[in-house]
Amino acid sequence: MKDMFACYSLALLLAFAAALPVAAHHSFAAEFDITKPVTLVGNITKIEWTNPHAYLYIDVKDPQTGMVTNWEIEMGSPNGLTRLGWTRNLLKPGDGVTIEGSLGRAKPNLANARSVVMTATGQKLGAASSEGAR
Amino acid sequence: MAPVKRAVTALLVIVSVALVAGQAARGSIAGRITTDQGDPAAGATVQVKDPAGKITSVVAGKAGEYRIASLAAGTYEISVPQMGLRTARYAQADVVVDAGKTLTIDIMLMPNNFGIVGDDAAFLQMYNKYKDLKGPAPRTPEGRPDFSGVWLANVDPNPAAAQMLPWGVEEWNRRRERAFEGMPTSRCLPADPTLTLPVFYKIIQTKALLVHLFEQDPHYRQAFLNGSHPADLDPTWMGHTIGRWEKDTLVLDTIGLNDKSWLLQGTWLPHTEKLHIIERYTRPDLAHLNIDVTIEDSDTFIKPVERHVQWLFTPGEELFEAICAENNKFLQYSVFK
Repeated sequence: MKDMFACYSLALLLAFAAALPVAAHHSFAAEFDITKPVTLVGNITKIEWTNPHAYLYIDVKDPQTGMVTNWEIEMGSPNGLTRLGWTRNLLKPGDGVTIEGSLGRAKPNLANARSVVMTATGQKLGAASSEGAR
Repeated sequence: MAPVKRAVTALLVIVSVALVAGQAARGSIAGRITTDQGDPAAGATVQVKDPAGKITSVVAGKAGEYRIASLAAGTYEISVPQMGLRTARYAQADVVVDAGKTLTIDIMLMPNNFGIVGDDAAFLQMYNKYKDLKGPAPRTPEGRPDFSGVWLANVDPNPAAAQMLPWGVEEWNRRRERAFEGMPTSRCLPADPTLTLPVFYKIIQTKALLVHLFEQDPHYRQAFLNGSHPADLDPTWMGHTIGRWEKDTLVLDTIGLNDKSWLLQGTWLPHTEKLHIIERYTRPDLAHLNIDVTIEDSDTFIKPVERHVQWLFTPGEELFEAICAENNKFLQYSVFK
């Protein structure tokens, strides 16, 4: 009987493990929808350099209506960003950025950032190639 | 030609033919590894596993290039283990290597955690900065291996699936269906008492103590090297840890754990208060700390769960403050209420 449980459990675990997006240390899938990618171009209005996540706020202008919307962008922790070569003063209010990420679930105008590119320099922040920014 | 010389020449010819035949019976896998951002994944480990379970591994070069040569013709599984928190494990089974041929497999790694920028300890950069450290393992004045310093942890490159009793499988499925939103760390509660999260740890070692510091709640764990477990422990998140030396191996033993923590990053297994964690620490050289973790809980696991991890010495790094409750918006932004 115990062996039957073992087979049953193992089969279930293996089946689900294959399809499972790994949840690392925060449940991002509860906050963001990876099936809804978003690209945002705008100017920074505020930075929260805080734990457990840093946030960028950016004004994004709709190219058709001209309407400006303020977006909240979740990133990793200041510690992780620092080790990627960021400092809390690397980005300032007014700086232009392009963000790629996924849409938030809980409210409009919320997203996370998979990549952040500075408009002025074209530098992609946080990628392996930005190591020189240290 | 003298008889001896003829014999040597004949032998050389036979050996050469055998070597050529041997090479012809073997093949290679080669290619290039990139991150989800398209950057070269320099320093990534590539593994091939033969049907007998034997693993051969190489490390990708600066342009992300790799080559695993001299593989007997046959079927393999190729994989790139998870690196840190942000880069997911890649695996492809049923890869056929033909004799005398090079199979090209270019690999783009997929992100964990949506690939959120900064949600990592910059694993690849840090790994490449320190992976070539050479030297013997340092020792304490008492002659014990000295584990002190800052270390970059990573997960088991070949984690075996846990085998759980039905209640454990049901609980795990419930967690999965809710996108693991109940994860304690999402609420600024402690992470895993097995200390297997792939982040930085700082170890402070004295004759009487081995202290781990880390950037997650509760930020420390102390192991008492001269003591025994108190009777009738109140269950806590990190439990009570004692340690003893077995020659150059430090064996840590933890009991007195509550059932609230989730075990093993990326898997997040349930457990009961019967949980018993045994960690065996050895330092083979300056750069590496090998840790074998055994997780026992006969009310949850059909057999003990094992993890074999290797940490990398990162003497130029330091821990930062990380007060999770400062600005945690998870409960506000989670769709699970």
